[in-house]
Amino acid sequence: MTGWAVEAAGVEKRYGGVTALKGVDLRIPEGAIHGLIGPNGAGKSTLFDILCGITKPSGGRVSVLGMDVAALPAHHVARRGVGRTFQRTATFRDSTVRENLLFASYGRMRHSVLQRMARAPAWREDMAAFETRADAVLETCGLAHLSDQPAAALAYGTQRRLAVAVMLMNDPKILFLDEPVAGMNDAETAEFIALVRDIARGRTIVIVEHDMAAIGALCSEVLVMVDGAQVVSDTPERALAHPDVVAAYLGTDADD
Amino acid sequence: MTDITTGAPAGRARGGSASLKGAGLLALGIAAALAAGFGLGGDPFLLNLAGYTCGFAIFALSVNVMLGGLGEVPLGHCMFYGIGAYAPAMAMNHAGLPYEAGVAIGMVVAALIAAPIGWLTLHLTGAYFSIVSWGLSGVAMVTALNLDVTGGPLGLFGFSRLAVGPFDLSRPQTYFFVAAAILLAVLVVLYHVRGSRFGRAMEAIRQGPHLARSLGIDVFRERLKALVLSAPIAALAGALSLPYTQIVTPEVMSVLRTVDALLAALIGGVGLIFGPAVGAVIFTILPQFLDLDPNVKVLVFSLLIILVMVAAPGGLHQLWKAAAARLSHARKGDAP
Repeated sequence: MTGWAVEAAGVEKRYGGVTALKGVDLRIPEGAIHGLIGPNGAGKSTLFDILCGITKPSGGRVSVLGMDVAALPAHHVARRGVGRTFQRTATFRDSTVRENLLFASYGRMRHSVLQRMARAPAWREDMAAFETRADAVLETCGLAHLSDQPAAALAYGTQRRLAVAVMLMNDPKILFLDEPVAGMNDAETAEFIALVRDIARGRTIVIVEHDMAAIGALCSEVLVMVDGAQVVSDTPERALAHPDVVAAYLGTDADD
Repeated sequence: MTDITTGAPAGRARGGSASLKGAGLLALGIAAALAAGFGLGGDPFLLNLAGYTCGFAIFALSVNVMLGGLGEVPLGHCMFYGIGAYAPAMAMNHAGLPYEAGVAIGMVVAALIAAPIGWLTLHLTGAYFSIVSWGLSGVAMVTALNLDVTGGPLGLFGFSRLAVGPFDLSRPQTYFFVAAAILLAVLVVLYHVRGSRFGRAMEAIRQGPHLARSLGIDVFRERLKALVLSAPIAALAGALSLPYTQIVTPEVMSVLRTVDALLAALIGGVGLIFGPAVGAVIFTILPQFLDLDPNVKVLVFSLLIILVMVAAPGGLHQLWKAAAARLSHARKGDAP
């Protein structure tokens, strides 16, 4: 590998006449926690979807974990170690916490319907491996005591942790978190920051977030985007102090 | 790579109680079938109707693979039922083949036709999928109406021998037991499908296709597999209708048949494996005992559906569950 988890150059995205991304460059080293910030409409989510292989770019090069994600269907990208959570918290709401993890284990299981009917070794091995991994993931995410609760009944912050747990079942090499602490209270945010630090060992994490305290606490570097273009890429403190960033957040012509 | 892959004790025996429950339900089903088979007092009409109901229940189960499994409303599913009814009729009347061979051919043909149809339609979801699938079943019906091999508008009748191996389906009791046995076998298969990797992929897709895709599930492929699985089951159901109807006409592919199965599934509960089968029994037996006129039946069942949707959107079993929950609460002394 190159040492870069993400290498993107000149990424463009046009929707009809609207240009959502105007040639964005982004490099994220393996193992980093990288932030992606900017006002609403800056193109963060579009870039995010392109990096996960869900949206295809109109131009430029995008390589994630060495894969040309623009050329692969989204489920292939996911199978090869790219995980993501969604801005509107996505869990399997009709199911329990444990069932959520069971659905997430799809990629790690191999048994067929017939093997399941016969309770064949392939099925038993799949299930034993699942139990082991689910127990560990539940422990990491602080969900062990909620294992049999319906996902829909969980508190908001807990649902967000479940969304992360679901992704961890596949042990992604890079995990994209879309506004993970939005709507959380301070205690939940602090808990979540600790969780992200914990799971960051051995993987790359990319966070889109408006909560600058969370970004500052977690990220080694942030990319600031405004109006479909990158403004600056630096440490959180320096990026936020950058005059263009200040202008973008507080409005231009800021006469101090 | 991370500490998540290590630690934690090996898996505990979770599947155990579920499979015990499954075996218990199966035993209950067998007991119910035996009781019905011997208990209907040898009344040939009722036994024939009961056999037909088992076939209808299988169709409702097939429809529910799409409805409860994927969250789609497969209005055109009657096409596969029709293929299953026409195949043995054509095999017997034109090729002199035995009934069983025709049934097998119908199931294979249904699966083979489901694949390209699914490939064309399953990129659509919701109402779009339903309407296109309905349209295709209409094409199938018009085709059956205009071909000579299908007997045109008169259909096919005068079958030689409806039998499965040594079991003569023209004997009402045998027909019922064979149909009931097949119904139970289909239930067992679907039970295991649901508990398998494929079944969980379907459920994940039903609840959240975007999240499922982000977990590496090939949403389109799993949806296609569901249709290709459900089509031969529908065909099997269609074939099992022959001993009762003794005729196949293009009407067999009427969308109303799908609607009946959808109603049965909704009444019985789309989230339960055996829900649609229970719904099918209610749907067929009730009007028979109440001696309802077909037109009144539509009215009664429309009302029933509205009531079920309002009071128990998950199907009638929800009422049972709610009652049980309330009872256990009351026993603990913390009733609401």
